[in-house]
Amino acid sequence: MTEQAFNKIVVLDCSEGIAGGYCTKLLADFGATVIKIEKPGVGDSTRSMGPFQNDEPDKEKSGTFFYLNTNKKSVTLNLESETGKNLFFKLLEQADVVVENFAPGTMSALGLSYESLAKIKPQIIMTSISGFGQTGPYRDYKTTNLVTFGLSGAMYTSRPATHTSSRPVVEGGQQVEYTTGLLSFSATVASLTNRIDTGKGTWIDMSALECMASTLGANLSEYPYLGLSRKTNPFAIHGYPIGYSVACKDGWISLTPGLGGAPNIPLLIERPDLLEDPLFTRPAQRMAEPEKFDELLAPWLKERTKWEITKQAQELKLAFTPVLTPGELLEDEQLKAKDFFVKTQHPAMGEVTYPGAPFRLSETPARIGKAPLLGEDNEAIYSGLGFTKKDLVTLTQQGTI
Amino acid sequence: MAYELLKGIRVLDLTMVFAGPVSSRILASLGAEVIKIESAVRPDVFTRGNVYPENDPGTEPWNRGSLFHSLNAGKKGITLNLGTDKGRDIFKRLVKIGDVVMENYSPRVMENWGLGYEELKKIKPDIIMASMSGLGHTGPLRDFYMYVPGMEGMSGLTHMTGYMNEPPMLSGFSYGDWTSGGTSAAAILTALFHKKSTGKGQFIDLAGREALIANVGNIVMDYTLNQRVEDRMGNDQPYLAPHGCYQCKGDDNWVIIAVENDEEWTGFCGVIGKPDWCKQEKFGNSLNRWKNRSELDKLVEGWTVNQDKFEVTTNLQKAGIPAGAVLNMKEVNLNSHLIERGFFNVIDHGEGIGKRPIPNQMPAKFSNIDSFVPARAPRFGQDNEYVFGELLGISNEDLASLEAEKIIGGAPAFLPGRPTRLNLIQSQNAGQLDPNYTNELRDKYEKDIGIIGIAKNDPK
Repeated sequence: MTEQAFNKIVVLDCSEGIAGGYCTKLLADFGATVIKIEKPGVGDSTRSMGPFQNDEPDKEKSGTFFYLNTNKKSVTLNLESETGKNLFFKLLEQADVVVENFAPGTMSALGLSYESLAKIKPQIIMTSISGFGQTGPYRDYKTTNLVTFGLSGAMYTSRPATHTSSRPVVEGGQQVEYTTGLLSFSATVASLTNRIDTGKGTWIDMSALECMASTLGANLSEYPYLGLSRKTNPFAIHGYPIGYSVACKDGWISLTPGLGGAPNIPLLIERPDLLEDPLFTRPAQRMAEPEKFDELLAPWLKERTKWEITKQAQELKLAFTPVLTPGELLEDEQLKAKDFFVKTQHPAMGEVTYPGAPFRLSETPARIGKAPLLGEDNEAIYSGLGFTKKDLVTLTQQGTI
Repeated sequence: MAYELLKGIRVLDLTMVFAGPVSSRILASLGAEVIKIESAVRPDVFTRGNVYPENDPGTEPWNRGSLFHSLNAGKKGITLNLGTDKGRDIFKRLVKIGDVVMENYSPRVMENWGLGYEELKKIKPDIIMASMSGLGHTGPLRDFYMYVPGMEGMSGLTHMTGYMNEPPMLSGFSYGDWTSGGTSAAAILTALFHKKSTGKGQFIDLAGREALIANVGNIVMDYTLNQRVEDRMGNDQPYLAPHGCYQCKGDDNWVIIAVENDEEWTGFCGVIGKPDWCKQEKFGNSLNRWKNRSELDKLVEGWTVNQDKFEVTTNLQKAGIPAGAVLNMKEVNLNSHLIERGFFNVIDHGEGIGKRPIPNQMPAKFSNIDSFVPARAPRFGQDNEYVFGELLGISNEDLASLEAEKIIGGAPAFLPGRPTRLNLIQSQNAGQLDPNYTNELRDKYEKDIGIIGIAKNDPK
């Protein structure tokens, strides 16, 4: 077995959804034993979130759940019952990390505050993920990915550089969730590293709003320096129109015409007569007449595919790249050469292909593994705590597991 | 705040521009000693020269940029020319006393200098080296010429961002760079934990594009499971309505409303004083609201357009409905929730700049762990004496001759500082300007915010 960074770490994952799931997925993919604690009979909320394999809504066939829970174990446990809590405390004795994303105050109300956990396991690291943090005036606000994206400032900047009055649009997918999950992972790992030397546990308070706002560092600091609230990309500061999409034969191309080898654009589109045209030599001119600029490019681009254009542009040192769809990622020669996508077997879904780890470590690479079935590891884990098969039947009938 | 979690960890940071500095800023916020290495011939030009206090580049513009201060707070800074043999020798001596080397040159540069991972390992067997790039350290496309639009565009994220039937969109805040930096910090932390546990180092290949694909992984699964590619859908989320960004009273004001179920819908109709909307069959359940969402969105916006975005937020939240104003950079900087939670640290950037609030790059709060306010971002070559003298024991005489040979020190190769062209920002409608910003900040933070820099232009 290949050595992995977190081989000896045990995580109790009481979180639901994407942010907590992504945090513990990274821990699990890099070796930790992550025990996902799910509601008996129901399971994690992402089990009922699409896409489902063959569009069959089924707790064991959600692509979202699968992707976020690779390499984890699953037990069912009702944390609201006394017996359930006692079982949780038993699991806690062997654990290094607890991750949760209940509404602030819920863990305390359940008798599972950091203080009570630390009494049983003084070195425990508890990572609490919430929308707005455990304190502050917004603490009890309700939120979604879109709401937090708006409050963080990110939404305000999210419009085309040439149409800055248009209605802002959220970044695709669930970026608030992933960003929060990523930073929660880093905070947890830093605490684990610190614990090796100091033996100290800690309670980590993560706020999704702050995580998302932290990605805007560049835009945010322009206000205390200049009073500026910019509506577009920070790279556009001197009027460069950066990174927009133009249509080609089979989709779209990303252009960054304001930087680098921009003067070569006329050579790419076989219009050397335009080499001295201010539209190609002066970024501000391009910003003043974006439609005119795009119209000059359009005929040449429309006759060629995104990869034909990209390869020719790259030879001219132009930062033109294709806008790829998820399907095209699977065919991408670079991702293929790097074996980015990985395959594994799943009892309900058969062979499943999923995106590999976001970073590559030469000596302790990510492992490949499936997501667990709901309660798949109940017997193995609870019998490890000394429960007999008969005990498990009773606990199931009580609704504890 | 920064926390003393990585005490004793030393990071040699050769990265420039955005993604790399984000990554090392996160490590500095967790208590690592980060030494930013630049040279007079290759300073971090882009971040150093961007938005000056009160739009005044001053005589040393490279020490005044807001972007530089924001991305590099808490780091030390030295100058060292790696393009020379002597410079590389000194760098190797630093590697001997370092834990992590980070770089984001194009893939061949470090190897051409004899500073590839295999070479560094000979000098320091347990070194961790992180190489950051757009598409990765190996593979047929590794030398692609690209910026953040390339990373975002080639990850699937751009395809999914924007309104249906409109062009796919780049993020407005260099999100791809941030993701690349944030993921790089996660990778380095994983390797540091392993090094602390086992004494072993390793090489990290961080491709910004792969980090971004991970962040859309659940959407990519629709293709791997069903061979289906969904189109981008603006602010819509299937079967949820109203769910979007609605115009409010005033110039460029918007509010997000995200009704998730029938209960919230009933509450929403109550708050806005339209209880009859709930009774109409076309809006009676989530499926019907979804089918008739364009009609519903118009009705909702007909109401919001006369409302204050903050009042909408408060009133809907009181009724338990997810809603939030779209905040601009001013409103985030002045937000009382973020200020109360200490998301911004007021950092004194020194003479000619003064105190300014700087956002956290690792916004976690750790109990039981000592915390501190990060030091200001380093002036050019600020820590040469500490690093070369104290850490490496190079004598003052030798330092002077290294400086004469332009191996260390010197003024950065830097164009004269250019003030932000406010007229261009206005004519392009690229942002809002608030002339009263220092007073606004003083009311919310400390009375002496920006006081030194503002002296000659104070509006009062």
